Amino acid sequence: MASEGRFNQQRYEREPARRVFAAELREATYHFKDGEDEKSPAYVLLPTGERCNRIFIIGSMTQKEKRGDQNVFYNFRVADPTGIFFVSASSYQQEAMQQVSRIEPPAFVAVVGKPNVYEAPDGRIFVSVRAESVTVVEKEMRDSWILDAAESTLKRIERFDQSADTALTQEHYPGVNLDLYRRMAYEALRQIQI
Amino acid sequence: MATDAPVEMYMDLSEVAERISQKFKSQSVEVDATFVENKLRILVDQFGVNLNEAEKTVSENIAKEHGLESAPRQTLEQREIGTLLPGEWVMIEGKVVGLSNPVSPTIKQTGVIADATGAIQFTAWARANAPLLEMGQSYRIESVVVDEYRGVPKLNFHAGTTITPLEENITFLPQVTNVADLRPGVACLRVKMVQEWEPRHERIFQTGLVGDETGTVSFTTWKGDDAPRLEVGMVYNIFYAPVGEYQGRPQVTLNGATCVPDEDAEMEVGTGGMTYQGAIVNIGPGSGVIKRCPVEGCNRVLSRMNYCPVHEMQNDFRYDLRIKGVLDDGEKAHNILMQREVVETVTGVTLEQAVETAENSPMGMDDVFYRLKDTMMGRYFTCMGNDLGDTILVRECSPVAFDKDRHTELLNLLGGEADGE
Repeated sequence: MASEGRFNQQRYEREPARRVFAAELREATYHFKDGEDEKSPAYVLLPTGERCNRIFIIGSMTQKEKRGDQNVFYNFRVADPTGIFFVSASSYQQEAMQQVSRIEPPAFVAVVGKPNVYEAPDGRIFVSVRAESVTVVEKEMRDSWILDAAESTLKRIERFDQSADTALTQEHYPGVNLDLYRRMAYEALRQIQI
Repeated sequence: MATDAPVEMYMDLSEVAERISQKFKSQSVEVDATFVENKLRILVDQFGVNLNEAEKTVSENIAKEHGLESAPRQTLEQREIGTLLPGEWVMIEGKVVGLSNPVSPTIKQTGVIADATGAIQFTAWARANAPLLEMGQSYRIESVVVDEYRGVPKLNFHAGTTITPLEENITFLPQVTNVADLRPGVACLRVKMVQEWEPRHERIFQTGLVGDETGTVSFTTWKGDDAPRLEVGMVYNIFYAPVGEYQGRPQVTLNGATCVPDEDAEMEVGTGGMTYQGAIVNIGPGSGVIKRCPVEGCNRVLSRMNYCPVHEMQNDFRYDLRIKGVLDDGEKAHNILMQREVVETVTGVTLEQAVETAENSPMGMDDVFYRLKDTMMGRYFTCMGNDLGDTILVRECSPVAFDKDRHTELLNLLGGEADGE
């Protein structure tokens, strides 16, 4: 009579999409896998002390570039008030790629995607975003996203000492200046014109 | 004597001995059951004392030996059913208000017994040799243990439990519980049938949502002779339904409960659900226009080739519109399910228009799917609905407007503190 056991099994839990400003994501250099498995989720550690496997951003698509012949992919830039996100959509993300092909910059776009840290041959570290979905949205949504990202940044700063990733953050970003990120969020908010 | 204790005959000495031993144990006195049984045997077999008297005598003697003022009363103090707690060893008087089919051969009977203060489920184990209880009859039940099974208090009739039918039936009015106040146990409800869902298991007879002014709760009825069917939109008085918990939320089972439709009643069902705000970050497969199996009570989603997993090809399907997506607040990704009315309201696309698109567009049903994606993806929405465990069933959904107050507040929070440093 009671619920069947098979319905109580722990289900796969989707990774939440973190809200992060471009200026913070650019500083994220440490990435890791949670587990040995090939399918274990990969994370980028944000300097304000939170791991992210997925992010959600809204900004202006400024440049779009189609690359490749056999395997077509798009690189494009999304600007927020603090800087630029470098985003890509390849044939591995068919749907995102087709969405991007239809968008002409400049346009406000919402991007759901996975952050990626890679090292250039000259040793410089880059962060890019592999898009899962790209849609055109209104300016009001962009403004709402800035509020959201500012609030998320503030929350991360406030629980910097008590987060699950505190030790990891202190190890990999020693002496991180949290006030910098607080000011970044504040400046982003000030750019919203009402 | 013969009329008073028809059940006693079934009990043998060792059961009574066990009961006495247990009673003293509840007073922190360890008494060996074999020792008790020997004392009983002497009285019953050699001196012709009836078992009831023997029990009293032996109990009192043991109490004296251990310096207790009195033996734990043979008939423990009668308790109100509404106040029973797990772990207690009690005596109750109540009326059988529900019987359901046992789920296993090791169980002789299951049901619900109630008094004016509340109701509780009971289980009579086959090996306990308890008599079969009759619906509507009142009983005194002595030496019964209150157990807990999956958070639900239950009475367990064991070998030492004495069950005596009462000559006069207890009369009382059932206490109706508000949906918002439901806790695991047994409850009487006055609710409207709100929604019927696709059964997610072949043993399920009917599943869906019922609600009253204070909120909604999901229910499940398993297949069986005791399965009532509810009709959407109808108000029911439901008497003594077992309430369990599924993934942290109450869930009502209707097997064994009495469901009486109130044909003339109107009821405004309260929302009672939670509000979630976030961005839609995924619209999954199975969203948009779907085809449902037309076989009565099936309602399953058909494949593109109109194949129902149970009823095979069904070309006489009916169309439906829904969204299965993810609403993400940055901390948690919530699975959401929007049914037709909600989708129509929030996207402005009606089922009729969607079907027309699906039938005429070269892309078919995909056209609608991508259209919904373009409308919803990457945007902020407030969704109100009920958490069904791993999915929120959205009842209302509206876009989030730019929040000026939050803007000002955040500027103060971030700017104010930075200036102070």
